[in-house]
Amino acid sequence: MFVLGFHFPADMGNQIPDELVAEKIAGVDISDVKEIKLLMGTKDKDKEWISYTNNSTFLFRALVHYFKEENPDKAQKYMIYMNRYQMSAISKRVDAADDETMKLCHNLDSMEQFRIEVA
Amino acid sequence: MAGAASLRQIAFYGKGGIGKSTTSQNTLAAMSHYFDKNIMIVGCDPKADSTRLILHEKAQDTILSLAAEMGTIEDVEMEQARLWGKGLFDKETPGGWINCTESGGPEPGVGCAGRGVITAINFLEEEGAYDEEGLDFVSYDVLGDVVCGGFAMPIREGKAQEIYIVMSGEMMAMYAANNISKGILKYANTGGVRLAGLICNARMTDKEYDLALELAQRIGTQLIHFVPRNNIVQHAELRRMTVVEYSPYSDQAREYKELARKIVYNDMKIIPTPISMDDLEDLLLAFGLEDEVDESQVGKAAEA
Repeated sequence: MFVLGFHFPADMGNQIPDELVAEKIAGVDISDVKEIKLLMGTKDKDKEWISYTNNSTFLFRALVHYFKEENPDKAQKYMIYMNRYQMSAISKRVDAADDETMKLCHNLDSMEQFRIEVA
Repeated sequence: MAGAASLRQIAFYGKGGIGKSTTSQNTLAAMSHYFDKNIMIVGCDPKADSTRLILHEKAQDTILSLAAEMGTIEDVEMEQARLWGKGLFDKETPGGWINCTESGGPEPGVGCAGRGVITAINFLEEEGAYDEEGLDFVSYDVLGDVVCGGFAMPIREGKAQEIYIVMSGEMMAMYAANNISKGILKYANTGGVRLAGLICNARMTDKEYDLALELAQRIGTQLIHFVPRNNIVQHAELRRMTVVEYSPYSDQAREYKELARKIVYNDMKIIPTPISMDDLEDLLLAFGLEDEVDESQVGKAAEA
């Protein structure tokens, strides 16, 4: 079973508890990231930059992890659809009270393409 | 069974027209190119379109057509029936390789396609194709939704052990995915076949990810990957190429690379728990893809 690209052994079943996913990204260094910038859309006229700064959430940490993984040059990175859908699904359970996160989740749930940068 | 103990025999099943051959070839290309896997494709679709993107050809000669041409299957040579992939997938190119076969099928309306599939598999076994040095995966690309026992042949004969169902968030694709699960369940105890995951080849319909995920969880498996729709797939197909070869740094190539990685490392192989037709309809209702039916209106014309 794969969640956010992490492999969980088959004997853990097909529904991995959110806490176990959170454990996988607990060690991610977010101290050097003030802002996550997401570029939503593909057609030039419809592209939109979204800023996300709430660094106390699961989503912030998951996005930073995604950005940094295999990206030594810190280049803008395409977001795999399934990973971002999974990030959104978990966030809606663990950070439901945070309006900024829920608003971003609403965008992440769309069929639009996303690219990620950090600042 | 022929082949090394470490050989994995996987199959891509799904409703006709869902994009099985495109998905399987792009995924296998990624497994070969990015993860150095050596693969044999056994196309089990009478359309014989399971290998064209790897071979850069319209369609290769099928084993059944070669047998018809030569008189008997015994007269067919391995070199005629099995072709090495072109470009990135050639045996001489660094990285993994892919070789390709197509079983072919009977003339429309005549004979059994399943018999063709098993004839082809037996031929490949006898000719040593499964014993090719370094072979990591055999992949069967199979038409249909296992209503026809013929198309279940790779499962029934204990060949394909690990089944990936290509589906989408549309009702008939989900119906077929559930039906294929029933076929796997039927042969799970006798042949050891297991369901390894659903692959959503997205139509980009509303709530498609949620729906595919829910179906996967209900039948006891995983949604192993959600493949978004992207025009680059069609652009690559026009050149008879996989996306991995046509544009290896494209967004879509990254999607196939991720799916390939998951298949390479996948250990979730389960006996499925198919759901009833009523449960499937309830699922579609719950996700708003079907309107609730007013029983008093069933069978009445719109103008009544």
